[in-house]
Amino acid sequence: MITKSLIITVVLLSLPLGIAAAGETNLVCRSCCMAELPATRFTDKSLYQVQSAWTTDGQKEINLGALAGRPQIVLMFFSRCTTACPVLVNDLRKIESALPAETRQKIGFTLVSFDSEHDTAPVLAEYRKEWNLPGNWTLLTGAADDVRELAALLGIQYKETAGGQFAHSNVITLLNAEGEIVFQQGGLDQDIGPMVQRIEQQLK
Amino acid sequence: MMKLPAPWNLVFVLTLLFSATDFSRAVTNGEIPGMVLIPAGVYRPLFKSKSEPAKIAVKSFYLDIEPVSNRDYLEFVRTNPRWRRSHVARIFADESYLKNWADDLDPGRDAPADAPVVNVSWFAAKAYAQWKHKRLPVIAEWEIAANASATNPDGEKDPQFKAEVLKWYSESGATEFLPLGRGEKNFYGVRDLHGLIWEWVADFNSAILSGDSRDGGVDAKFFCGGGAQSAQNVDDYPAFMRFAFRGSLKADYCIHNLGFRCAKDL
Amino acid sequence: MKTNLFAKPGIAVCLLAMAWITRAADVPAIVGEENAILTDAPNVPSPITRTYATKVIVHLEVKEVTKQLADGVEYTFWTFGGNVPGKFIRIRQGDEVEFHLANSPDSKMPHNIDLHAVSGPGGGTAASFTAPGHESQFTFRALNAGLYVYHCATAPVGMHIANGMYGLILVQPTNGLPPVDKEFYVMQGEFYTAGKFGDPGLQPFDMDKAIDERPPYVVFNGAVGALSGSNALTARVGEKIRFFIGNGGPNLVSSFHVIGNIFDTVYQDGGTTPIHDVQTTLIPAGGAAIAEFSPKVPGDYAFVDHSIFRAFNKGASGALKVSGEANLAIFSGKQSDTIFKGDASANSVAAKTIEPAKAAVAASAKNFSADAKPTSSSGMESGKSVYMRTCFICHQQNGQGVPNQIPPLAGSDFLVNNKDEVIRIVIQGRQGEVTVNGKTYNGVMIPQGNLNDEQIANVLTYVRNSWGNHADAVTAAEVSGARKTVATTTTANNFE
Repeated sequence: MITKSLIITVVLLSLPLGIAAAGETNLVCRSCCMAELPATRFTDKSLYQVQSAWTTDGQKEINLGALAGRPQIVLMFFSRCTTACPVLVNDLRKIESALPAETRQKIGFTLVSFDSEHDTAPVLAEYRKEWNLPGNWTLLTGAADDVRELAALLGIQYKETAGGQFAHSNVITLLNAEGEIVFQQGGLDQDIGPMVQRIEQQLK
Repeated sequence: MMKLPAPWNLVFVLTLLFSATDFSRAVTNGEIPGMVLIPAGVYRPLFKSKSEPAKIAVKSFYLDIEPVSNRDYLEFVRTNPRWRRSHVARIFADESYLKNWADDLDPGRDAPADAPVVNVSWFAAKAYAQWKHKRLPVIAEWEIAANASATNPDGEKDPQFKAEVLKWYSESGATEFLPLGRGEKNFYGVRDLHGLIWEWVADFNSAILSGDSRDGGVDAKFFCGGGAQSAQNVDDYPAFMRFAFRGSLKADYCIHNLGFRCAKDL
Repeated sequence: MKTNLFAKPGIAVCLLAMAWITRAADVPAIVGEENAILTDAPNVPSPITRTYATKVIVHLEVKEVTKQLADGVEYTFWTFGGNVPGKFIRIRQGDEVEFHLANSPDSKMPHNIDLHAVSGPGGGTAASFTAPGHESQFTFRALNAGLYVYHCATAPVGMHIANGMYGLILVQPTNGLPPVDKEFYVMQGEFYTAGKFGDPGLQPFDMDKAIDERPPYVVFNGAVGALSGSNALTARVGEKIRFFIGNGGPNLVSSFHVIGNIFDTVYQDGGTTPIHDVQTTLIPAGGAAIAEFSPKVPGDYAFVDHSIFRAFNKGASGALKVSGEANLAIFSGKQSDTIFKGDASANSVAAKTIEPAKAAVAASAKNFSADAKPTSSSGMESGKSVYMRTCFICHQQNGQGVPNQIPPLAGSDFLVNNKDEVIRIVIQGRQGEVTVNGKTYNGVMIPQGNLNDEQIANVLTYVRNSWGNHADAVTAAEVSGARKTVATTTTANNFE
């Protein structure tokens, strides 16, 4: 009898503790426990208000807010994609090379993977090498839930299909230094003129 | 998954072994107040394509018996000020957020405590679920639960049930809601999946409207022709309507007849 | 602003495609801008008189509304602008159209629009896909002149159209259409209600009937009687009249015909090449036609889907009332009526038929007892409702019938004196000669199988106590009793 009640008490205690412990293992806080934080330093329309945690290909844990301070060209992709994503990454490179050298240094490129399971930090590091991506390109992997949320913010639709592939909309997004969406370009291998023009406007 | 420190883990395991009291049985049987267990099942997606299986296996999960009510949601905004109507960041919820509430902490007459909360964005629904240590169901889960009639887990075989479901969709979009808890429970013990409100799902944005990367060109599933050609069951009009409704949404939209319920892993 | 920022990829692609067309095709420069004036059927916006292309801004709001489909029958319509059919849009070839599609905050469904006048993917469907409480905007160039259908194409597209989501957009040719005196907007569509034709109350959509293409209702402008009775279209003798006719479907093809008129000109399929001297023009589902004619003599002209059971039993009829001077040189009216029995001796037979009938009138006038009063006024009301749904198409609004074709109910000796027989006629129909007020008619009345005992009792009580008639009430019990004798007779006949 006594043993049983003891166990019950212990269980009662263990549940909240277990959850607290789980929270602590995440270095970056998640939205569920952000309730009491003061208003964020980002604007009302900034994507950087999200609290999700991401890992760079360099194994660094960051919030999206870490991307603030310079315009970012954001693409959601996955490394095993053999069709649209290579074209889109190439579109990003075309945009980059269309910009004057000094402008290039004032902006960032961010690739975020749809494929939380496969695209781990080391896989993304390999991808960087393969594509020879420069230092102002950030490659991010995160939890499936957070990927879904970011896609929702960017208005991107996607779903996992057979064989570790993803069907997804092809969208390149320009965020200003505050993390607000300034411009979106849809489709593959589009005229990069309007995007380049918008980027230059941001740096004026 | 929860990460438990080693000693607590041990106790947890012991509890499982000595599950003699009501409480411990509740833990082992996985009974969670307000939720029911939906057994593992198979979901046949409305649309099939070369790259997609015609059947998706869905693991067993818990689902809220009823949609989240204004009363539940009030508790959420009380403890989470950033989700109060006047505090919410515009990027997470459009101007219609909780527009039927009287004030930040007062649902008021147009949002009775027992009625389902509506005019909430996907971000808000997701935050609520996380706060409850739950999550939003995915389409496959929601559809499996919603396919059950009162007597049959496969409502497809019940013409009466299908007609009842369709009836709601063909009625005009009245904004007054009956209190929760009155609808008939379905085979699994879940109610109000039909006939009350639309519900958010975690992967509402998984329908590819256009610019699909691999299926080639514009995906016209929502519209003429395309819809019928690739659909597995062209008679399932309610499924088409839910598919179209989800496809019309963006995560910040708050709509007068769109609410949600939560799910949870075992 | 927000819409632009979150522009779907489809929109971006669409705009780019349009830009290319602008460069490639020889389209006129845009001068200025204006807001389109939209009208509800049967009205049509005034002809466009400007001689240049402009930017036309169209605001259209989708509303889900519950309205009357027939007398006593309600339906939840999904509409472009609050009515079925949707608002008439009139633009000029070469115009740039900035289209705003709003979906009412009270809507249950997302909606979109596919304009057949658009050259571009889906006719605008993806670009206009809109959740409740939102508004989408896209732009197109009206490259081709003609009369085009627009409709909602959100899945399940059949149901969105079946609920009334269609209308017409006229792209007026650069040199305009020839001037006419009157223009009308008429659009056919069928409705798939769970109940039968005339079943009262709010009727839900019936998917099985829609799939089987078995509509209880086929109507013009969204309701039985939307264009008849006090809603009839009017014109004067000699006026040039232009009908813009569309067919929303969703399933049926229309054989559009104006009884007693010949179309001088038809722009078949809503195109730009006129053909002349047409009796009936075929309008496909999702298609349109422009038909012009000029009534020569006064009278009531019914227009119908000449798949004729739809006109008589499902609602597909409307009326054009033409006033003015008669012209006997064109149409004389009836000049004589003689009995034809195949040989000249028939006249004496006719005389026999008429004389006893007159005697019967006199006899019954004496026998009519004043204490047999009609039933409650609600019975009369509901009888009237049944009449206006079912009977008036033949027997006319005020029971006057059609000379030489359909016997009058107004002031009718037959109706008042033959209670049992008229009950039987409504139940089982009647074929062959009947003498009413001394005139002999030889037609067919079809059995009214969709009416129940009470409805028959009410409608007979109504007609027997309207338009100068006075008679005792017919009860549901009497109808029920008559049904039994009808059934027995029929069975007996089968064995003979």
